[in-house]
Amino acid sequence: MNYYLINLLIYAAVDAMACLGLSQQFGIAGVTNFGFIIFQAAGAYTAGILALPPDTANGGFQSYLGGWNLPFPLPWIGAAVVGGLLALPFTFLVGRRLRGDFAAVGLLVTAVLFNLLATNYRPLLNGDAGLSLIPPPLTSGSAAAGGFSVQPGGYQWAFTIGAIALCAAVFWFARRITESPYGRSMRAMRDNDIVADSLGKNLLSLRTAMLVTGGAIAGLSGGVLVSFINTWSPAAWGYAETIVLFAAVIIGGAGNHVGAVLGAVLVPVGFEEVTRYIPTSNNLPPNLIPSLEWVAIGLLIVVFLWLRPQGILPERRRVIRAGYAAAAGGAAAGGAGDAAADGAADGRRGWRPAAEVAAPAPSLAQAAGQQRPPALEGVRLTRDFGGVRAVSDVSFAVREGTLTGLIGPNGAGKSTLLAMLAGTLPVSSGRVIYGGRDVTAMPAFRRARLGLVRTFQLASEFKRLTVMENLLSAVPGHRGDTFRGAVLGRRYWRRDESAAIARAWQLLQRFGLDGYANHYAGDLSGGQRRLVEIMRALMTQPRVLLLDEPMAGVQPQLAHRIGRELVALCQEGMTILMVEHELAIMDEFCDPVVVMAEGAVLAEGTMAQLRSRHEVVEAYLVG
Amino acid sequence: MSADHGAGSADQAAGRAAPAGGTGPGPAGPAGDRGIPVAGLPLRADGVTAGYGGDPVIRGITVSADPGEVVSLVGPNGSGKSTLLKSLVGVIRVSAGTVTVGGRQVTNLPPEEVARASVGYVPQVDDVFPPLTVRENLEMGGYLLPRRQVPERIDRVLAVFPRLAGMLGRTAGKLSGGERKMLAMARVLMLDPGVFLLDEPTANLAPAVATALLGEHVRALAARGAAVLIVEQRAKAVLAISDRAYVLGGGEVRMAGTPEQLSASREFVDAFLGGQPQGKPATS
Amino acid sequence: MSLVVPAFGFGLVTASVLAIASVGFTLQFGVTDVLNLAYGAVMTVGAYTAYLLNSHGISVWAGLVAAMAAGSLLSVLLNAGVYAPFQRRRASPITMVIVSLGMTLIIEFGVQALAGGVAVSYTTGVGPTFRAGGLILNGEQLVIMGLSVVVMVATHALLRYTRLGKAMRATAANRTLARNCGIRTGTVIGVTWAVTGAMCGLAGTVFAMDLGSFDATSTDLFLILILAAVFLGGPGQPYGAMLGAVVIGIATEVSAAFVPADYKYVVAFLILLVMLGVRPVGLLGQRQ
Repeated sequence: MNYYLINLLIYAAVDAMACLGLSQQFGIAGVTNFGFIIFQAAGAYTAGILALPPDTANGGFQSYLGGWNLPFPLPWIGAAVVGGLLALPFTFLVGRRLRGDFAAVGLLVTAVLFNLLATNYRPLLNGDAGLSLIPPPLTSGSAAAGGFSVQPGGYQWAFTIGAIALCAAVFWFARRITESPYGRSMRAMRDNDIVADSLGKNLLSLRTAMLVTGGAIAGLSGGVLVSFINTWSPAAWGYAETIVLFAAVIIGGAGNHVGAVLGAVLVPVGFEEVTRYIPTSNNLPPNLIPSLEWVAIGLLIVVFLWLRPQGILPERRRVIRAGYAAAAGGAAAGGAGDAAADGAADGRRGWRPAAEVAAPAPSLAQAAGQQRPPALEGVRLTRDFGGVRAVSDVSFAVREGTLTGLIGPNGAGKSTLLAMLAGTLPVSSGRVIYGGRDVTAMPAFRRARLGLVRTFQLASEFKRLTVMENLLSAVPGHRGDTFRGAVLGRRYWRRDESAAIARAWQLLQRFGLDGYANHYAGDLSGGQRRLVEIMRALMTQPRVLLLDEPMAGVQPQLAHRIGRELVALCQEGMTILMVEHELAIMDEFCDPVVVMAEGAVLAEGTMAQLRSRHEVVEAYLVG
Repeated sequence: MSADHGAGSADQAAGRAAPAGGTGPGPAGPAGDRGIPVAGLPLRADGVTAGYGGDPVIRGITVSADPGEVVSLVGPNGSGKSTLLKSLVGVIRVSAGTVTVGGRQVTNLPPEEVARASVGYVPQVDDVFPPLTVRENLEMGGYLLPRRQVPERIDRVLAVFPRLAGMLGRTAGKLSGGERKMLAMARVLMLDPGVFLLDEPTANLAPAVATALLGEHVRALAARGAAVLIVEQRAKAVLAISDRAYVLGGGEVRMAGTPEQLSASREFVDAFLGGQPQGKPATS
Repeated sequence: MSLVVPAFGFGLVTASVLAIASVGFTLQFGVTDVLNLAYGAVMTVGAYTAYLLNSHGISVWAGLVAAMAAGSLLSVLLNAGVYAPFQRRRASPITMVIVSLGMTLIIEFGVQALAGGVAVSYTTGVGPTFRAGGLILNGEQLVIMGLSVVVMVATHALLRYTRLGKAMRATAANRTLARNCGIRTGTVIGVTWAVTGAMCGLAGTVFAMDLGSFDATSTDLFLILILAAVFLGGPGQPYGAMLGAVVIGIATEVSAAFVPADYKYVVAFLILLVMLGVRPVGLLGQRQ
């Protein structure tokens, strides 16, 4: 009788671990890994061949690699390691280049392929029959000891508790990774990977880390399972099993760790249990119940995706209270000072509290402007698309501390130029010089880390992160924003986080969105989302900020407010280059303004000057 | 405006397409007047508000185009010109206001029904079917025609765009920019609609080609009797061929009038170059 | 060496079955933008429909017609009842794939629940055996190849010469523009599901014939071959699918002459993975 409960608990623990691993990949990082089952299988096989004696033992009826009869815990450690390593070659299939559904198909096919190879290549892992007589941990390794079910009750309970403890450890670990700034970056990548890239997140590294972590967890779960059931064969890990795990994560709630455990309990485990209670009758065909189980799982998947795609326990909203900052608020000056000190140490200039700035004259511009070195320069920049030349031999310089406007009719090449300066588009020829340094070959995320940051025209907030999280996701050099930092825990990155939160609150108050700090960014109005984007860019403490139509679709009143804040930022030392169509804004806030037409720079000056120049008027009217 | 309709009164009475096997394709070469009138339909948009799901991009727009007129929509980028056209043909949803064609309500009808209301639309991009041949593209343009009429209609359209006649078998994806635009215009001409909506037809065309397109082809559409509403970046060029124009800005109509009236006004330049807002309150 | 020629013959038969299936799949995807992984399940329904009639004494060739009808009806229902509603909600492509996997489970195991897990086969007269230059094929196989050619020609004719076929290609290329031309794309898509569903039912039946004995999950592995052929030729490209089917069908069978038969699918899988990694638009696809 007890064996039934033990069986139930161990399967629950194993499935929960697997689901936690899958939830990390699918729910948190947004990687749909239909090959997930391979990792569990690899772990199980590894634990098997490490624990088994050489294949000549037991009468030599099996044929497999390895067989080193290693003691516990080595088989389980090996399982986790192999599961993790196996993930590395998969990274090429989950890159951004491939359409999501195509990549999913590729992974599914890979899973079937591996299953086919394992089934048919007998010397590898004993083919179709699989491995058996795998000794349970901490028992004598010979066949005579039998399997798990023969062990004394005390052993079985100890194993069960060990499995549950391991599951709890995995839960704790997954939680630690996810509830860190690193986890936040992963979720940002899930929501909008292009934008995450431009904020300096290394997408490849993030995805690889999650594939490896998820793989290791899956491998470990396989190791535990195989030590319990003492056998493992390809039939245990077909493509149907992956679907069950996905169903579990979707139903329980992708992106929620308790949800992953719940899903594991409800779906793989729950189904097994429920069918036990269905009365069998000789009138029913023997395969009817298992078939109906599968039908039910399919139905659940479709129904849940329709009615409640977020699962039973949806991803939690992370709320950050004002009190957090108030406590740090007294230290806000200190916090900002810390941030400035950190910034200075990195050679990156952040804002300085107003008092520290050698305040330039409010009418920035003319006199002061001439003397400063250019913060950003384009030298003979050209960009071709197929046969069309979008930007043609453009050279200009943006002076430090100025709010420079970039205008021109449609098709003039403004956005293309901006993209080349930011690094999101490569140049066809020419150079980009940032702070005296040639960054032409540098990718966007590295330029971002050096303080050259851009915003985007189209909606680019992270919809399923709160406004506060959107802002925090942009903070560069955050100690918690690495895998190591996440693992080391809150104590390690707490200071950087408080400082960032304090700065974020300042910004929110400055732009009037502090009441929305804990709302999902996707729920805000268009104008508010634009503000979030600008604030997020400001969190990176840029030296040079490239704004791509920040006022598009924004009400005039709000646009003016944004304009005033931008001017204030320039007075505090930032340099801003802004592409805009709302020329009234240019008039009021920007000096100088550069006009482009047909891929080349036409003129430069204040709006008032430009309006009186014939060729500028012509460019706009001629188009 | 001053083009004379060379067709006989029988054709005028028949209104739309030439009687089967009737008057030939008209003079080859420059489109000009092909002498086959079309029953143009008046287009009215009243207080149209529309957007892409979030906040509206255009608000309370009221414009009209009558048969035989070329009406242009100009304005700085981001002013909502393309959005307006898309909302008129049902590609995006109208949240307030009405659109009528020939007095018939077409607000929020799906695009295929708007086409049946005799509205021809040439989008700015994605304006042809790249994997289909030129001939097949034209056939799709004539999808709503009775099958017998299609070959003859193709002949007529090729008379307007003779260069296409040599490329009927070529895949549309392989055409140059100018050729594609021609094909896009020819495609919509197949239907011979009562209303033409053209979204920046000269975008990415060389200036000489653009002038020819506007001056010859677009004017000719109205000359035959259709109502033409055309969105353009090249304000000067399009005003030269227009009977009336609207200037859009910030999602609303800022100015309206004849080209003469508009060009003479200082406000017109300001509307493009962001001078003083025209009497609009700062809030909203 | 002397194994190669008969293997080539088998390859032609496999290619024929694969061609019918792949062209249907790719046409579905091209016009409707749904990667319908439940395609294998619909094939299974077709195969079992024919079996149902066959087990009551009706010739399997007549059963084939019933299979086409069943496949057609099921596919139309699948779209109208499941895929289209999700698409209207703008579900992501990944969600659509997962939904199609869910439908696979429902349909395949639904069939298994009804029909039992035991493998079945058709009773057919195999007919005379033909030999030519090392090729050995029986009557049934020749009919399958013939059917495949008929389907290819019919597809070509549909797409190139009929108004509906051109409307399908137009809808696949640019749905909005097709609507601007007055094409009722909703109807075109529905008809596409009906036509490709019929092809799917047909493919399922000839697949079962070729396999000999089959059960409710026999098409699982075959679906991968279909995907390989589709992606080799380019998703959404019917002529690409034909090309892909020939290549995959022959490569798979010929490789069985050199490596143990169980590995023959490996070739197909590797081709698929390479195409996805290197050139996802396929050999005949155009980069967007």
